[in-house]
Amino acid sequence: MGILQNVKNAVRQRSIHVAYVDVGSCNGCDIEILACLAPRYDIEQYGIYVHNNPREADILLVIGAYTPGWADRLLPLWEKIPDPKVAIAIGNCPISGCLFARPGTLIHPPVAAHIPISAEVPGCPPRPTEILQAVLALAPEVFRDYEVRVL
Amino acid sequence: MMASSFLWYLVEFIRPSWVRKFFTVRTAPLLTPPYFRGFPEPTGKACTRALRCMMVCPAPGAIDVVKEADGWHPRIHRGHCIRCGLCVEACPNGVLSSGRVLESVTASGTALTLTFRIDVDTVSCMGCGNCAVACPVNRGLDPQMAYGGRASRDDLLLCVVEGKCKVVREDRCNGCKTCEDHCPNGAIRVDRVLQAVQAVSL
Ligand code: SF4
Ligand code: SF4
Ligand code: SF4
Repeated sequence: MGILQNVKNAVRQRSIHVAYVDVGSCNGCDIEILACLAPRYDIEQYGIYVHNNPREADILLVIGAYTPGWADRLLPLWEKIPDPKVAIAIGNCPISGCLFARPGTLIHPPVAAHIPISAEVPGCPPRPTEILQAVLALAPEVFRDYEVRVL
Repeated sequence: MMASSFLWYLVEFIRPSWVRKFFTVRTAPLLTPPYFRGFPEPTGKACTRALRCMMVCPAPGAIDVVKEADGWHPRIHRGHCIRCGLCVEACPNGVLSSGRVLESVTASGTALTLTFRIDVDTVSCMGCGNCAVACPVNRGLDPQMAYGGRASRDDLLLCVVEGKCKVVREDRCNGCKTCEDHCPNGAIRVDRVLQAVQAVSL
């Protein structure tokens, strides 16, 4: 493995681009992700940038319990993200449907049944520190030696 | 002159302390304070399978009480649990703990009491007896009970009398709602009534 690859690995760990999509949540988890952007947690100090543009993203944060309106939207959105990419399920909703997982509700969790999910952050909502830890723990795994592994 | 002032400008800008901070500055480590409610953890006290935790839990599928070699244990399911702490507060034996819920319950002398009310809609009930047969309390009292819900004893929780379901001993109800799941007509409903009480301290 060349020096160039090591440089790439080092740089990419400080340049993680995140998009987030809300597929039907109560907004609790959205607020916690917004808290990550605020000075108290300040995710840019870790080299994580939020663009909300799938074409620029490396990591997709999925929030919400998957309402029917997302049936023909979430997968195309996921396919727009260039490789290497991962999706992280934030909160109980994309994992189990949380409190909405009752008979007669119009949700179709888990989100992992619709797009590949690499990590799950349980909690209703999870704390900003937990969201940050998940992104930081996953990012090196995804980007390290990407060309060597895949190409 | 021009060149030297430009040089000084640069020197001012690349002060080592600034450069070091630019690359290394971090907010202080963000620790979760111990009083935050986490996922409930076992305290090591023995579970008596009162099932109060399961009855009080607002999140579907968040908690089960399972039997293991050394007795019953509550199991919290991440991805379902919302960390509300109600199971910690409702447990009569203090089996679970989360944040400082147990301490504040003790300090304030509060308790959660659960009672159960069963309503049968006698119009849509067709007297099939599925509820009485499915009820785990009934099964414990009268294992022979079969189709039709005819009872061999008169102190069962539910039985069928004159073609309609009758609630005999509501006080025996555990609130599990098994009957609701087995009624083909949606005629039986169990309400879990949760009351918070505070002992009057002198
Ligand atoms: S996990 Fe809880 S806080 Fe997050 S979107 Fe679902 S219900 Fe809201
Ligand atoms: S903390 Fe709340 S949601 Fe979690 S298992 Fe206990 S009662 Fe259920
Ligand atoms: S299961 Fe429903 S219909 Fe059958 S006896 Fe019970 S309440 Fe009536």
